[in-house]
Amino acid sequence: MRTFRIVIAGHGTLPAALLSTTELICGPVADAAAVALEPTESPDHYAESLRDAIGHDGRRVLVLCDLLGGTPFNVASAIARRSPRVVCVSGASLAIAVEAALADGDLDDALVERLLEVGRSGIVETERHRARRAS
Amino acid sequence: MSLRLVRIDDRLIHGQVVAGWLRALGAQRIVIVDDAAARDEFLREVLSLAAPSGVPVEVLDVAGGAARCIDLATSQEPVIVLARSPRTVLALRQAGVPIEVVDLGGLGAGPGRRRLHRTISVSSDELAELRELEQLGTRVEIRIVADDRPIALRSVDPAR
Repeated sequence: MRTFRIVIAGHGTLPAALLSTTELICGPVADAAAVALEPTESPDHYAESLRDAIGHDGRRVLVLCDLLGGTPFNVASAIARRSPRVVCVSGASLAIAVEAALADGDLDDALVERLLEVGRSGIVETERHRARRAS
Repeated sequence: MSLRLVRIDDRLIHGQVVAGWLRALGAQRIVIVDDAAARDEFLREVLSLAAPSGVPVEVLDVAGGAARCIDLATSQEPVIVLARSPRTVLALRQAGVPIEVVDLGGLGAGPGRRRLHRTISVSSDELAELRELEQLGTRVEIRIVADDRPIALRSVDPAR
């Protein structure tokens, strides 16, 4: 059983869509939330929403962000720097979200490394991928 | 030579900046002029985390920022200079930084603030500072993302 919470942080409708699409692939994802940054929302207001979604119960939380340097990431990484129980990953994709949703156990270093690897290895171009597979 | 673009954005580095403006300007360096951030090590670190790898972020106070910007204005290096408020940019201009265009990229709404265009709102002090920048020969434009057609301050200034 996964012991940590998942929060998807991003711009506009992406977080909710990423969460619902993850559920399309792996079924209902328990203990997960999507927090959308709306176009006119201030970073401070977004930080409040994100903190609420992260929760105040001391449990570990994985925050998956859509864009390095975007406000959701900036706010999440500021929270993560101050709070060791929060891990902030940017470049979230369906592959990473599925891997996180299906994870078993704790949000430890090994899992974080695996999430990053799943994200990186999921980025291919067909021809180059084929050439590499064939060699 | 003068700085091609100084952007006023109360979020400093965020999605529109990293995904749009860096590419549009071909900038490989971000200079942030902000007294509060320059004093705050935590804020400086968070700001530097926001930039893509290989793009250094310099966070300077107004005095240090003015010297650095004058330096950068004479070099050919494309940079993006970010400030949180019109006051900071006016201070840079008054300190002798040559600035061709000031871009209003993000100034949030709030009590006592008048909306000029979409996500751009100003206080009466800020409006006065922007007008002063124009008097000093710096063009003030609203351009939220790089693809937007620039809107001159003049055309949305409520006093005109």
